[in-house]
Amino acid sequence: MGARPVYLDNAATTPVDPRVAAAMAECLTADGAFGNAASTHRFGREAARLIEAARGDVAALIGAQGTEIVFTSGATEASNLALLGSARANADRRRHLVTARTEHRATLDPLRRLEREGWSVTRLAPDAEGRVSPEAVREALRADTLLVSVMQVNNETGVVQDVAAIGAVCRAAGVLFHCDLAQSVGKVPTAGLARLVDFASLTAHKIHGPKGVGALYVAEGARPWLEPIVFGGGQERGLRSGTLPTHQIVGFGRAAALVASEGAADAARMGTLRATLWESLGALPCVHLNSPLAGGSPAILNVSFEGVEGESLVAALGGIAVSTGSACSSATAEPSYVLRALGRSTELAQSSLRFSFGRTTSAADVDIAAAAVRRAVTRLREVAP
Amino acid sequence: MSGPRASVDQLGDTLSGATREAFEALAHAGSLPDGAGVVRGEAGREATGTRVRFSLRVAQDQVVEARFQAYGCPHTLAVASWIAGALPGRLRADLSPGTPADWARHFDVPIEKFGRLLVIEDALRDCVAKWPDQGVNGPAARGPAKRRTMGP
Repeated sequence: MGARPVYLDNAATTPVDPRVAAAMAECLTADGAFGNAASTHRFGREAARLIEAARGDVAALIGAQGTEIVFTSGATEASNLALLGSARANADRRRHLVTARTEHRATLDPLRRLEREGWSVTRLAPDAEGRVSPEAVREALRADTLLVSVMQVNNETGVVQDVAAIGAVCRAAGVLFHCDLAQSVGKVPTAGLARLVDFASLTAHKIHGPKGVGALYVAEGARPWLEPIVFGGGQERGLRSGTLPTHQIVGFGRAAALVASEGAADAARMGTLRATLWESLGALPCVHLNSPLAGGSPAILNVSFEGVEGESLVAALGGIAVSTGSACSSATAEPSYVLRALGRSTELAQSSLRFSFGRTTSAADVDIAAAAVRRAVTRLREVAP
Repeated sequence: MSGPRASVDQLGDTLSGATREAFEALAHAGSLPDGAGVVRGEAGREATGTRVRFSLRVAQDQVVEARFQAYGCPHTLAVASWIAGALPGRLRADLSPGTPADWARHFDVPIEKFGRLLVIEDALRDCVAKWPDQGVNGPAARGPAKRRTMGP
């Protein structure tokens, strides 16, 4: 208790980089690029110019063309567009979709919606580390399979899927492949992903950009398979109507450019911080690592502390901001379904903490958090029956 | 956590003052050593998120000393701690210092966690059920019945 505030919840969201905020501020007031990008006057044209530049920066994250980027309100809307939009565009041809049990709710919930509307959904079980094998994907495919949706980096554990192999399976079978990249950018290599996927969901606020803006990558060849889910204006090549938020998009573009120039160094530093934290926490008795140390995202460390309830652990940490898989501290009634899908017991799922690192995380932050967690775990175990 | 797990940043800020105070202190935590006049009652399971155990040193039909152990959310630990402090002096026939509804009000326990308070109540009932019928004399002399009330 009483520790100085430490933010280790960067997988939930990141603070906006001051350089991003500065770029955004130039798009808001009368002396900046405040115009509507759809307008043909000089104010609109200036906004459109900045948006197209940002579009290029975002596209470069995955090796795409700017014309293949559709700006949305975030990765959740992007995934909804990919899943609902492709399903409804092909409702008379293919009505089967494949995903993993450990996907983000932004994928699982639209698929559940489609299931209620008559589509069939296969949810693949991962292995004990959370990986979905390409063979399992291949075996799940049917003649009427439209799309496979598997995220690259899991938001709870940081496990990295073999999206190249899964993409190859899909391509060979003539099935669309959607990949949620919300936790990937700036943490693991994404530069060539445009060649491997048909749709990819991106977001700004996980990479020190603003909340409220994201994008769906739509491969040129996949465009005919997609129809919009938002109507009214025909922006974004008809796929996402609505006035483009110049400042948000410019912020996204600036954040993407910073990932291009600094992301590799940031990721290496995060990996070191993660190793340091695990070295300290792993020395405690009866702890269980839920994140793969080798090949996982350097930004996420998920640990279960046997005999300690997650919400109490978070409360005992005082100023240390992390996330827990405990049920009573979340909006859902069950402990982490991701950890449960990995075979963790209910007790271990609800005793889990996710530590996630970002550009602003320091070594001192990690030292403070490690000491606080060790104290809290010891204390709560002393109280437990 | 993000998406599937709601983030719980600074969760402590969402606790009431009474809960925060009791949770930080966790007074009366622990277990009394086995021996004559020690009664243990427990309820709940870790798998369902809450497990509570009280150990009481009793003299005939009165609590002399109490400790608690608990696995659960901060509200569970706070309420169990408070109850353990309120038990000495209470009689077997009226062991519980208030009802779960009283505790919920005092500690501002969210309604969705009310079931956890029922687990605490069950642990107290288990103490009563395991209380020796007669002739149990603890090391402490029996004192006057002490009634404690819930109070802000």
